Amino acid sequence: MILKITLVLFVFFIFFQFVYILYPLYAVKEKEKIKKLGNEKGVSIIIPAYNEEKVILNCLEGIRQLDYHNYEALFVNDGSTDQTLDVLHTHLDLQVTSTKLPTGKIPHEEVKEIYQSNLYPNIYVIDKKNGGKADALNAGTEYVAKEIVVTLDADSIMDSMSLHAINVSFENKEIVAAGGLVQIQQGYTGDLQKPNPIFSIKGLIRHQVLQYMTAFYLHKLTQAKLNSITVIAGAFGAFRKKALFDVDGYRRTVGEDMDITLKVHRLIKTNKNYKNNRLTFIPQAICYTECPENFRELYNQRIRWQKAFVDCIFHFRKSFFRKLGFSPSFFLLFDSLFFGTINAYPTILIPVTLLFNQDNYIVAAGLFSVATFLAIYQGIVTLVVSRRFGIIYSKKQLPRVLFFIPLEAISYRLLGLLFVTTGTLLYFKNKNSWYVSKRVGTKEQALLLEKKAV
Amino acid sequence: MKRRLLFNLTFTAIFLGLFSLIISLFYQDVARALDQNEFFPTNKTFDLQACQQWRNEISSFDLTPKEKATEITILMYHRVIPEDKLEDNHFEQDGSIVSTIVLKEDFEEQMQLLHDNGYITLTLEELALFIKNELDIPKRSIVLTFDDGFKDNAIEVAPILREHHFHATSFVITGAVNKYDATYEPGEYQYFSVDDLHNICDVFEFESHTYNFHKRMEDHTPYLTGKPIEEVREDLEASIINLNGQNQAFASPYGAFNEENLALFKELGFNMAFTVVPDTVKPGTDIYQIPRKEIYPRETIEEFKVKIGLK
Repeated sequence: MILKITLVLFVFFIFFQFVYILYPLYAVKEKEKIKKLGNEKGVSIIIPAYNEEKVILNCLEGIRQLDYHNYEALFVNDGSTDQTLDVLHTHLDLQVTSTKLPTGKIPHEEVKEIYQSNLYPNIYVIDKKNGGKADALNAGTEYVAKEIVVTLDADSIMDSMSLHAINVSFENKEIVAAGGLVQIQQGYTGDLQKPNPIFSIKGLIRHQVLQYMTAFYLHKLTQAKLNSITVIAGAFGAFRKKALFDVDGYRRTVGEDMDITLKVHRLIKTNKNYKNNRLTFIPQAICYTECPENFRELYNQRIRWQKAFVDCIFHFRKSFFRKLGFSPSFFLLFDSLFFGTINAYPTILIPVTLLFNQDNYIVAAGLFSVATFLAIYQGIVTLVVSRRFGIIYSKKQLPRVLFFIPLEAISYRLLGLLFVTTGTLLYFKNKNSWYVSKRVGTKEQALLLEKKAV
Repeated sequence: MKRRLLFNLTFTAIFLGLFSLIISLFYQDVARALDQNEFFPTNKTFDLQACQQWRNEISSFDLTPKEKATEITILMYHRVIPEDKLEDNHFEQDGSIVSTIVLKEDFEEQMQLLHDNGYITLTLEELALFIKNELDIPKRSIVLTFDDGFKDNAIEVAPILREHHFHATSFVITGAVNKYDATYEPGEYQYFSVDDLHNICDVFEFESHTYNFHKRMEDHTPYLTGKPIEEVREDLEASIINLNGQNQAFASPYGAFNEENLALFKELGFNMAFTVVPDTVKPGTDIYQIPRKEIYPRETIEEFKVKIGLK
């Protein structure tokens, strides 16, 4: 009986993997130049920052180099206890301003002061009491002046053309929110204007580089087509301001990015004004984020993600299908919830079945082979598709990637099972105390800008 | 544009090709694993009609009154295993071989003896006619039967029967038959696979030994006499379906049956039923209580001769 259930689930799993492999392969054409429309829609970038003194300048540098005019950037200092505010003061020449007024629609912790940069008049800093990331985003939302709101992590650097890509995408009136493509900073070298992918990096980072590329170029791309974007990554997303207000801003939870995405889905499904609207994914809107460099940090990050994920599933449990729509619910429950873990399951099954039932080990080996085969093929398709988007590994780097793909499929990938299982267990263990976990902000200077400074 | 499409198609083709290859590598094993511990379906058949035609041919013997048999012996075997393949679980605690196992070496000797002494094996139909006194048979006639349907019958017994131009009857527990063939493991309780049935269809007549009622209740009463008659009927009907409607003969597990059972055998159309009472068979023997002599492990050839009435 267990075997039958496993096999049925496995068939579902295979089906999803097939879609993820084949759809992007046929859908993605050769790289198209990002169009620069004559009409630039106004964009407000909100950057919540809590103890980000070491990385926030990278983020600022990315914003400074933006090839776009009609934008403003709002750094929200969420009661940092380090020098974040001072660093911004020094580099932006801040001055208190009274021109920014809140709408007063979304509650948040008290704002202490609002500053404007003398050097770049379109960059503001909102200094507020600590309230967590969601609260900082809410505070920022209160002060935005433009039509489109982009949320950006303080450890992430926007590609200079990304706002143009967002501008093009939001030309379509149906689009109410969109996710950008997040890449790993450590996987690139050279100029911010012309980053080059490299692969001579630590295995743990290689794993994340591949994982991000697969998640965005295969999974998000496919989900966008099937109208089932279940999470717009907190690192880089874009929303119509009106929608943010209509969903009453962010919920104070660690998984605020998934939460806001599902709230937008619910808005579309339940509010007549949003009847024909949808979410999308913009692969040309790129930002580079720093990933954890050691196991401990990666563990913390992924446990946080999993807790956030479980929390969202719980929070929206009554809304699935009817209020969230079929596609996102289906993908969330089956693809994310089930197959997020089942991917590593066959591997775990081998020792277990060998222990209890020696006759079934061939079956376990079969499941493992199929899962590994699909993982390897996804890795290869990821390379093909990302190449079409202009991420081209040099002749020297490519063999490293190709060699790493099968290795990763049977090693690093299994970490996922650990994170998912532990995260879920920890969520239930201390359900009420987890929400205080904060971003650690102990990251090193970004490789990308270090090179540039030379 | 065209290059990309060509690339995509090639890529997809290779992907699907490799995927099918992997699937085909494991398909059999997965199917088998799914079938494990599953009984043969009650509504499926072994598809044996075509290769069982031979059992309907009735030999006619031109015999002088002196050559006619007045009584014959029916032998009963279960498992036949070569001595060097015996494993721990083939022995009782006191070190003797489990009573249902006959060594292959002994079996070969017994068959050789039958052959050398000009014995012929009878089909069930010929036996029935003899009992009903409608067919004359030679004195040196014998009927070989094997109970339960163990895989060793297919591997060890069938070739020996063929060699001597003998045939036998196998009373199969039809629910235990495996849909998928597996490697022969003498150490295990391994029953025929459907493939086995087809492979030995030329030397064995297959008859019912119940579908899944070769069991005892908690108080050790055999299912056949202990269970409600309706359940027994369902079980036997399933075995008949598995055997393509074949209901010439029935052998009760443990030789246990009662009056109610006997009525049921008749109602289900069985023409004859076998017991485990050791005796000879004569014209006029109760055709629903046919005696059989069991062969035990390590029987000497002299003991065997006595059993078959060879002086």
